[in-house]
Amino acid sequence: MAATRRLQKELADIRDSGLKSFRDIQVDETNILAWQGLILPENPPYNKGAFRIEINFPAEYPFKPPKINFKTKIYHPNIDEKGQVCLPIISAENWKPATKADQVIQALIALVNDPEPEHPLRAELAEEYLKDRKKFFKNAEDYAKKFGEKRPSD
Amino acid sequence: MGTIVESMANCSISTQDRVIAPSNQIQIFQLIVTIESANIKNSGGLIKPHPYVELIVDDCKRNKTEVIKNTYQPKWNEEFTVLVTPYSILHYRVLDYCKFQKDVLIAEKNISLYDILCNYNGVCDNLELTIDLIRTRHHDHQASSSSSSNNLVKVGELITILHGFQIDISQVLNPSRESSSSINHRQGLSNGDFSNGVRARSRTSTRAAVASSIPAIDMNASNHLVNNALTNNIRTSQNPSSHNNSAEGTITVHHQSGPVTLPIEEPLPAGWEMRFDSFERQYYVDHNTKSTSWERPQPLPAGWELRRDNRGRIYYVDHNTRTTTWQRPNMERLQHYQHWQGERAHVVQQGNQRFLYPQHALGTGSGPNSRQITVPPTPVVEEEPLPSGWEKRIQPDGRNYFVNHKSRITQWEDPRTQGTEVIIDNSDLPTGWEVRKTTDGIRYFVDHNTHTTTFEDPRIHVPPIQCSAGPYGVPAAYERSFRWKLSQFRYLCQSNAISSHIKITVSRQTLFEDSYHQIMRSAAYEMRKRLYIVFRGEEGLDYGGVSREWFFLLSHEVLNPMYCLFEYANKNNYSLQINPASYVNPDHLLYFKFIGRFIAMALYHGRFIYSGFTMPFYKRMLRKKLNMKDIESIDPEFYNSLVWISENNLEESDIEMYFGVDFEVLGQVVHHELIENGDKVKVTDANKEEYIKLMTEWRMSRGIEEQTQALLDGFNEVVALEWLKYFDERELELMLCGMQEIDVEDWQQHTIYRHYNRTSKQINWFWQFVKQADNEKRARLLQFVTGTCRVPVGGFAELMGSNGAQRFCIEKVGKETWLPRSHTCFNRLDLPPYKSYDQLVEKLNYAIEETEGFSQE
Repeated sequence: MAATRRLQKELADIRDSGLKSFRDIQVDETNILAWQGLILPENPPYNKGAFRIEINFPAEYPFKPPKINFKTKIYHPNIDEKGQVCLPIISAENWKPATKADQVIQALIALVNDPEPEHPLRAELAEEYLKDRKKFFKNAEDYAKKFGEKRPSD
Repeated sequence: MGTIVESMANCSISTQDRVIAPSNQIQIFQLIVTIESANIKNSGGLIKPHPYVELIVDDCKRNKTEVIKNTYQPKWNEEFTVLVTPYSILHYRVLDYCKFQKDVLIAEKNISLYDILCNYNGVCDNLELTIDLIRTRHHDHQASSSSSSNNLVKVGELITILHGFQIDISQVLNPSRESSSSINHRQGLSNGDFSNGVRARSRTSTRAAVASSIPAIDMNASNHLVNNALTNNIRTSQNPSSHNNSAEGTITVHHQSGPVTLPIEEPLPAGWEMRFDSFERQYYVDHNTKSTSWERPQPLPAGWELRRDNRGRIYYVDHNTRTTTWQRPNMERLQHYQHWQGERAHVVQQGNQRFLYPQHALGTGSGPNSRQITVPPTPVVEEEPLPSGWEKRIQPDGRNYFVNHKSRITQWEDPRTQGTEVIIDNSDLPTGWEVRKTTDGIRYFVDHNTHTTTFEDPRIHVPPIQCSAGPYGVPAAYERSFRWKLSQFRYLCQSNAISSHIKITVSRQTLFEDSYHQIMRSAAYEMRKRLYIVFRGEEGLDYGGVSREWFFLLSHEVLNPMYCLFEYANKNNYSLQINPASYVNPDHLLYFKFIGRFIAMALYHGRFIYSGFTMPFYKRMLRKKLNMKDIESIDPEFYNSLVWISENNLEESDIEMYFGVDFEVLGQVVHHELIENGDKVKVTDANKEEYIKLMTEWRMSRGIEEQTQALLDGFNEVVALEWLKYFDERELELMLCGMQEIDVEDWQQHTIYRHYNRTSKQINWFWQFVKQADNEKRARLLQFVTGTCRVPVGGFAELMGSNGAQRFCIEKVGKETWLPRSHTCFNRLDLPPYKSYDQLVEKLNYAIEETEGFSQE
């Protein structure tokens, strides 16, 4: 399997590097194309919870980029209700076969920590983020507490 | 997957629980349920509900309406086609959609279909039911069965319509009361009695007209189904569906043989998989779109049904159109289908608008007699073997000729060199010049005097009088003209015509099937006889008009997305490519062979087909080598990655790729090694050129090789593929699809500019050029920029690119010394800021006429 070999290496590298903000990585033995993991953002308001994401790699990886989905509901201008996220690094125009899953995850964490209201997927949240930061923080925090998963303690 | 089987088993068990059917056979019917509206009592709350309805049939299939926001009087008017038995329980649940928490149940109600059938003599025809919505005071419905009825409150009414279901009630056994009441109890049914809380009346007047347009699934009409052609092998005419078993007028799908096979919960669509996450929650993975969802994939669209043929293969019936298909319908395919259907109205009209040069207007030197004299013996390297099927023979007078045994063609021309430009000798070049070819076979010229190279032939500037004769004895410049090439082709057609005629009788409803059978039943060379097409019931003489219509209609029919044979390339609607998933159709190779014959017939008889293919496909027909650039038009993402690999240092980027590749078709991953043991060979800067070459070949052929071969075989039996060698891929499209009058005003009106504006002088010159050009040139210019010579039915306003609507665009790029370039994915022309009208004309002409990839991007 073409994609498998590279993904095995990438996965091993990520596990070895012991990322603090991406934990609990689960990969199905029989299908290395689908990963799950927990994102632990550092910045408020998202530092109150952990968010489960799924990364799906196409069979043609790395010729085609992976897709990311949030399994945990999150109140974020760049992540929609279905958990879809718009991440430039994995867009059709920007994708390079040398881009590693590790870089994709880092880019995702950066986006979660610092929303980009100028390229929103949910315009109403972006507006709230820009106009009433306090309210946005409160909503996002409530959301994180309500739907977010528990952050591993260690 | 184990869980699905289990849940299906559960379903059938619970069905059997309550159904006591004769001879252990469950009859399954289709019922159309319309959920019309509801009236919910204002509970005094401040916030209005966002109601929606869930309809669950026999605890299995869940149908949901849309959510209507902020209202007590929701109107859905949604129609669901559900599979039922006469004993089915329809479970209606009215819910209030909540964004942030679990949706709240407003009320629910179970309806026993059997009770209704008894009251209405087995007929559900526009039967309106008004259902009282009952709720216990506390929302928990499980508790309701144990609590007293005093706690029940009527919170509103739901109006629903049952339709399209008819049964002979005397044949239906009364389910044992005991068992049905036990179900009622088990399900916490507040009232299974039909008369209590449910009012019914028959609506006949207004909806009757509408209703009659909903096709009853009368399987006796199945001879209209195109499916015969698709599901049945031509020789064995086995019927996959039991057409003859159904009684007239009833909508029955009997399964006479064996155990009940109709799945109540159907299996997941191809490419879908059910998994459990670490919390044991079910979720679904769609490998087709690489996405996951919590919800089970959408049920089949209304009016569709899943069936198995007698070999156990799954296929899908669309009762709306009375057609069948092997591939599961999804939204995208249905949209394509609708688009395809929408074209139908224009097909014949379009056919009448297409043209090419009339045969008598072609070059006069093309008459058979003069041609035989002017053909010079072509120099041939004897070692090269003839293409398969060809044989060289010698006439008594010593002259060579060539026979093709497959297609029964004879000709003077050597098929190995036919149509190729043989001017590779340097004799007539200016001194110090030399001709060479690039690795892609593009001719270029080396000027050793100045140590420069150019693609431009230095001889073109020589006045025509001094221009030397090409290999066919006419001036070389003329040989390149499309008209001259066409006359060569026509001459070959005429000289291999077969006397008498072939009659093809088709009915409009079964065009594909009838044509397929008649064309495949005859010997291929007979397709070169004069065509005599008859539409059944419209008998008349075919002087050309009828066959023109037949070619156009049939070519459109062949491209029906539901046949899965072709798909739109790169998401735009113009060009088709072979669908790698076509193998779901067990007879697909026969169909491709048929289509090959058909296309050859179109070219041979000078007729047009409705929709064209991708440029790489034409190149393949011409046996041209495909290069990396060709991938861009069909898969830009893949292309970008290849470009990245070719342009970047791989050692630095640790790319970890090997000479092995995967691709996915219908949820299956297919692995391929580009070289022997390729999985062990890493891609490095040293071998990446080879890697890119092999990847290109593989990308352009993966999953479609057999199909392409079948199509070309079919073609070659009617017309020798060598005859096409005169043309390039663009000319092939022009020949196959014909040209059409191009409305320059419409074109200009719907063109956008980047870094130019409407009044820029280059733009004025551009339109001046277009207006002065003839139709062929306009078509070629359009082809150069958009990848096809065809204009959408709605005109230039509807031009599509790879990301949806994409207008014709002219962008200022580069310097005046550059040639114009194009980006066919975006319908964009890069036009450098030329200094004069003449310069613009020269460069544009050059790009359009001479381009072989290098100026096109």
